[in-house]
Amino acid sequence: MKLIITDIENFNIPVEGEYKIICPKGDIHHCIGCFGCWVKTPGKCVIHDGYEGTGADMGKCSELIIVSRCCYGSVSPFVKMVQDRAISYIQADFVIRKGKMHHKRRYKNVINLSAYFYGENINDAEKETARDLLVANAENYDGVVNSVSFYKSVEELEGVTL
Amino acid sequence: MRIALINGSPKVHNSASGTLLSDIKGYLGERAELVEIGLHSAVISKEVITELEKSDVWVFAYPLYVDGIPGHMLSCLMQLEEAQLQKQVSIYGIVNCGFYEGIQAEYALKILQNWSIKTGFVWNGGIGIGGGGGLAMMPKTKPGQGPKAPIDKALAELAESILKGDARENYYVSVAFPRFLYKMGAQMGWRQMIKANGGKTKDLRKIPK
Repeated sequence: MKLIITDIENFNIPVEGEYKIICPKGDIHHCIGCFGCWVKTPGKCVIHDGYEGTGADMGKCSELIIVSRCCYGSVSPFVKMVQDRAISYIQADFVIRKGKMHHKRRYKNVINLSAYFYGENINDAEKETARDLLVANAENYDGVVNSVSFYKSVEELEGVTL
Repeated sequence: MRIALINGSPKVHNSASGTLLSDIKGYLGERAELVEIGLHSAVISKEVITELEKSDVWVFAYPLYVDGIPGHMLSCLMQLEEAQLQKQVSIYGIVNCGFYEGIQAEYALKILQNWSIKTGFVWNGGIGIGGGGGLAMMPKTKPGQGPKAPIDKALAELAESILKGDARENYYVSVAFPRFLYKMGAQMGWRQMIKANGGKTKDLRKIPK
């Protein structure tokens, strides 16, 4: 299953195969740093606003596709809040991988991570940060980066098939 | 000089970011006018923007969230860009991460750096701090002593750079504590927390239905 996390409300980008989309539907609450998703309701965020199950959705996906405005080399605030609220995809306990501390995996699936960034004036420094960020995300999810690409607008993205 | 110490943690109390700002406040002393700002939610008020506009230097302290800046703080940064403040502000960053290695904060600092440049402000550098998970709980020691010694040194140097208006390269530091002990201590903490919530150690690995 492809899991798509996007900040586009009216998502019109074609997708091949089975997929689920997480997009803005009502207000999202930001992560409050309580670690409840690790030590209170393991695997699920404790804030009930419709976005609490993303960690579990990630555990069922083979591909995680991020479609987001590029904000200073980061994903947009909405997509970031979804990601921040989904740290239950991994466990609280630590493991050392490639010489660095990461969290242990909770699920067996290996995520293929892709990002489609859009925005009018994404500069080279932001593109470099965005690419590095995806690699860091993949390391923390114990997954792999598939692709990172940049588009000038949402309309330009609508010609792509995910 | 007026310096805004900006706490970007979602936690209003007992955050590692708050501890680090309190420490740097001690190093800045009375050599500048200091104002404390909290960005604990996704919306930044006009009053806070006005307060920030009066400051010459902004020092952001925030936790590492999924390799980057917490979503709510990113939202605040976008609002600050949209405010189009007609002022030259010097920006410094302090990122704390729960992982042992401070270098894991690299991209969270880069994002703030990219924001500074895009917004027309001056990026003057920052520090990434590893082992931040234990900072708020560590017993008070004299500056420069105990596990926080390397962090104290980095904060003292950053304070001097701020007061002089100097730019510096991003710098990374970790607690002076063996990594395996830090890992062991953190994992004992998770076990205590899940038991306090009525769960068992094995529940840490639980897969929700």
